[in-house]
Amino acid sequence: MRASQRFKFISLSITWAWFGIFVLAPIVLIGITSILTQNEISIVSTPLTIQSFYDTLTGGYAPIFLYSLLIAATTTLLCLLIGYPFAFIITRASNRFRPLMLMLLMIPFWVSSLIRAYAMVIMLKAQGLINIALIYLGIIYKPLHLLYTDFAVMSGLLYNLLPFMVLPLYANLAKLDHTLIEAAQDLGATRWQTFKGVILPHSIPGIISGVILVFLPAMTLFYIPEFLGGAKTLLIGNLIQHEFLVIGNWPKGAAASVILMLITLLLLIPYWKSQPKPTRAKS
Amino acid sequence: MIKRLFSLLLIVLSTNAFAQKSQINIYCWGNYIPKEILRKFEAETGIHVNLSEYDSNSVLYIKLKTVPKSYYDVIFPSSSYVTRMKNEHLIRKLDHSKLPNIKNINNALLQHSVDPMMDYSIPYFWGTTGIIVNDKYHNPKNITSWQALWLPKYKNQLLILDDMQEVFSMAFSVLGYPLNDTDPDHIKQAYELLRKLLPNIKLFRTDAAQEAFIGEDATIGMGWNGDMFRSMRHNPHIKFIFPKNPLTFWIDCTAIPINSPNPEGAYKFVNFLMRPDIAAEIAIREGYSSPNSAAIKLMPKTMRESKTLNPPESVINRMVIQKDLGKARLIYGKYWERLKLGL
Repeated sequence: MRASQRFKFISLSITWAWFGIFVLAPIVLIGITSILTQNEISIVSTPLTIQSFYDTLTGGYAPIFLYSLLIAATTTLLCLLIGYPFAFIITRASNRFRPLMLMLLMIPFWVSSLIRAYAMVIMLKAQGLINIALIYLGIIYKPLHLLYTDFAVMSGLLYNLLPFMVLPLYANLAKLDHTLIEAAQDLGATRWQTFKGVILPHSIPGIISGVILVFLPAMTLFYIPEFLGGAKTLLIGNLIQHEFLVIGNWPKGAAASVILMLITLLLLIPYWKSQPKPTRAKS
Repeated sequence: MIKRLFSLLLIVLSTNAFAQKSQINIYCWGNYIPKEILRKFEAETGIHVNLSEYDSNSVLYIKLKTVPKSYYDVIFPSSSYVTRMKNEHLIRKLDHSKLPNIKNINNALLQHSVDPMMDYSIPYFWGTTGIIVNDKYHNPKNITSWQALWLPKYKNQLLILDDMQEVFSMAFSVLGYPLNDTDPDHIKQAYELLRKLLPNIKLFRTDAAQEAFIGEDATIGMGWNGDMFRSMRHNPHIKFIFPKNPLTFWIDCTAIPINSPNPEGAYKFVNFLMRPDIAAEIAIREGYSSPNSAAIKLMPKTMRESKTLNPPESVINRMVIQKDLGKARLIYGKYWERLKLGL
């Protein structure tokens, strides 16, 4: 008993220490930076002010926030449309193939997403794999302009984020009791009715987790528009990076980060509401 | 047990202290110094070299600024940032007695420098910004000035450097203002002119501009002469044009940060880079114009006679060195952001 309690204490402390140092402290630092004043010599200094928030909110950045939300929403919708049948097929695969399919889905995660963005460049560029293949097959004569377009940005986001939609959906759909589907079919439900009445309601928590995991990163993966979109179609993430690294206005970059975090929290509210209230198991 | 741990700790600490003595940390532009040169330096001096890379002066500057006890021994800032770093005491005054090879550096070029006596910085490479075209797609003869980039026929085709100062200098050049202009009204006019260029811009890029031109994802745009000399080796259709307008040029320098942990090693390295055979090898591998007159003599004819690397007198006469923008940087930044975000 004592040993297990000590183990519990140690593992929990490590978790909290990790959380405190790598999650909480940076957020607090960003919060503090956002209310400081920009300074030429020391980067930031007192007096404390909310000027940066005022500048960010009134600086005409609304189009970027709206554009980011639009891009993120489109990416999420496409991920859901592709990811849902994807996850469903994996759950229906035979025991022999299921681990293999999951493994194939996970392998790209072993490589940094930055490197995967570069891989997309190799695919899409004028003398890239897609154009070479199409020309070789005689389908086109002149290379298509795929790279540095909105299409490239969208496919980059889709490629990077699809697994984040598939995995929670898979975890959810795998738990689905197949006797329920059989029961629905026995009772004369059509395929669509079975899906709408049985499968879909059961997978709502999976859909919500997937949407959150895809929607939020889609607004901030700043290197995707930079590498694949030619640094023209910009997201909120690019605005933050620009303020910090190009202009050197840290308070404003921090203020934009805080605003993004607040938007995120707002979007998480429906998720919390949808979760059943946690109840402590009696021992 | 404790004893054993203690001795282990001692060993770790002592090797660390030993390592600090005989290593230097280089912070350089990406792909700007050949690894072979670093290995050669290590073989000759026994000093181990660690290399980190950055892709813009502002990243280098912020790194030095936010980590005052930075552990870099040699950095490669551009001329415009040398002044800024000197003024903010980020780099140290150089002791020329430790740099005997300094005699090899070309004096003619230094007249234009922001640091003509090489008190704080030593030229490493220099270059200028001009127009790049691929002659398979466009006739280079029709493009003689920056103004050509605004022609409607180049819609969604241009590669523009993702570099605030370069892009504003180009606009000033078209407007007839000084290339390092700091007048807020002129900056605004430049921004308005650049907004008209936006529909023609396909991408903003600096570090991968070569790739885009070689792979013909971009067939017209702006670029650095050294970058393009290197690209021509891979794609002979690439042509570099010196526009008829005034041109900016820059000198990328070596400098030693004020807090360098191993200044002696840093001096040895900077001096090594100026040795004629080494400077020549670097220039041949990287393809940029070298400021080292002794090294130029050792280069192959193709490099010594290349118009791209050695602009003719008429071009040199209209070149202006890139300077520190001072406080105007904030105004530039404001408009650059609006431009990039399409506002």
